[in-house]
Amino acid sequence: MKPTPRRLLVPLLLLGAASPALAHNPMCECKPVDGGQIECTGGFSDGSGAPGVTLDVIGYNEEILVPGKLGENSKLTFKRPDGEFYVLFDAGPGHVVEIDYADIGEP
Amino acid sequence: MSKAAVAPASPLSRWWHKWRFHLNILLLLIPLGFMPKYFADAAMFRGDSGLGERDLGTIQVGPWQVQLAELRDEAPRADGPAGHFKAFNAALCNTCINEVKAAYLRIGKPRSLRAAGTIFFGPPYRMATNLPIPSKTKADAEIWITLEGWDGSMHQASIPLAKASPATLAWLNKQGGK
Repeated sequence: MKPTPRRLLVPLLLLGAASPALAHNPMCECKPVDGGQIECTGGFSDGSGAPGVTLDVIGYNEEILVPGKLGENSKLTFKRPDGEFYVLFDAGPGHVVEIDYADIGEP
Repeated sequence: MSKAAVAPASPLSRWWHKWRFHLNILLLLIPLGFMPKYFADAAMFRGDSGLGERDLGTIQVGPWQVQLAELRDEAPRADGPAGHFKAFNAALCNTCINEVKAAYLRIGKPRSLRAAGTIFFGPPYRMATNLPIPSKTKADAEIWITLEGWDGSMHQASIPLAKASPATLAWLNKQGGK
């Protein structure tokens, strides 16, 4: 194989690979629902859902209050814990979303 | 004989018919205008012009050093409902490549290793990550680098966001400090 086309191909591939807009970043949204419960929906910015992905509710003292996994509809509903906590959508190391209880709001 | 052939052509029509094929020249000239940006981008992604548009220098993280750079000196980019993201590149020091298992970046001090932020991926000489920038980030926020070693150790360092990305700070101020 001649080296020229290959040499041209590498920067072209790099340009394509470097676009951050193509990334599928994790996202998670939590909202208060009736009965003192919170409903969280996980997913990725490319539009795909996150069924089965871990979603833990963790106290400020790092104690896991609600260990959970998202259902088939990428949602999880749990009772709002007392005190200070945060929701951790955990799709793997470095693919996490944290939501502080203060950002979930009251029903 | 058709009517079109006898109708006298206007000067404009004659000019158009005579010169229209010279539009081809534009096909050559227009791409030329984009060439400088193309070559600048090609040099950046190849690494010829450094890690990124704004090099942030070498940062000491525990026993290791990491070189950090802002990929582009611009405001965070929107990624649909996931929010806004800012791309950073990093390179591990040559001696710590074999010792560091993972590198993370986060706005604010991480609560735990599990929530250390977004992970750097790619070769250790040029790793990349997309840092989510919440629109209510405070102007005095710091970005925290977490390095996890193969020996289980964890080391952290932070730099002010204002230093890491002035363009992000300007963007945050424009959001009105929501």
